[in-house]
Amino acid sequence: MIVAGRSGGEGVRLVLEAEEAMLLSELADQVDSVLLLGEADDPALGRLLPNAYPDDQASSREFARYTRDNLVDGKRQAAQRVRDATAVDENAGGVVQIELDQSEAWGWLTFLTDLRLILAERVGIVEEGDDDASETRDDYLRAAYEWAGFVQGSMLEVLDPTDS
Amino acid sequence: MTSTLEQLDTDTTTRVASEEPWRTVVWDDPVNLMTYVSYVFRSYFGYPREEAERLMLKVHTEGRAVVATGNREAMERHVEAMHGYGLQATVSRADG
Repeated sequence: MIVAGRSGGEGVRLVLEAEEAMLLSELADQVDSVLLLGEADDPALGRLLPNAYPDDQASSREFARYTRDNLVDGKRQAAQRVRDATAVDENAGGVVQIELDQSEAWGWLTFLTDLRLILAERVGIVEEGDDDASETRDDYLRAAYEWAGFVQGSMLEVLDPTDS
Repeated sequence: MTSTLEQLDTDTTTRVASEEPWRTVVWDDPVNLMTYVSYVFRSYFGYPREEAERLMLKVHTEGRAVVATGNREAMERHVEAMHGYGLQATVSRADG
């Protein structure tokens, strides 16, 4: 994967191998599913939609009632845009090139954050099991978590260079 | 709000209490990248780089930081925005 600046100005340019694009597309679809289908007691959803008033149940419910739909919509849209942008044309082969302006890049940054929050929660849960199958799944989730962090970090280096 | 007839102490107390500033608190989590948190503070709140990094480091080292104060509605908007960015944020009353 290549993460670079755009020749035309602000934003970021991504070049993904077909395999990376497919992985990202699949992960984006899973984030969308968690937001769409997640049970209320799913701890991963709790990470995406935190309690704004931990010490005040009534205010907490009220806040959730007024903000939840908007937040879920925004997060689902971000995930769906990543999923669609990384959808691989089977016949094209090779690499997938994606150009993002500043606002589109924010969508990717927030999606990558939501993805990592979910993966972190899932890895924590899976760690409790000790059979081979769950260890393999754990490795896969951990690798995806690290990779998403690498992609986000690389995007931030382009969008927000610190040596200015 | 401009009534001159209601000068009871209880009224004054209520008004003062309702005007107390509230806080937007961002909490540390082991997931978010420090560069991301700092970038969010700068982009959303418009903080200069140094202030954004100071707040980010405060979150990181002390476990939390007050990133904004003001009326309750404004703090709820900020917290909703922080949740949109994937940060763990809460609204709390500034009790001094």
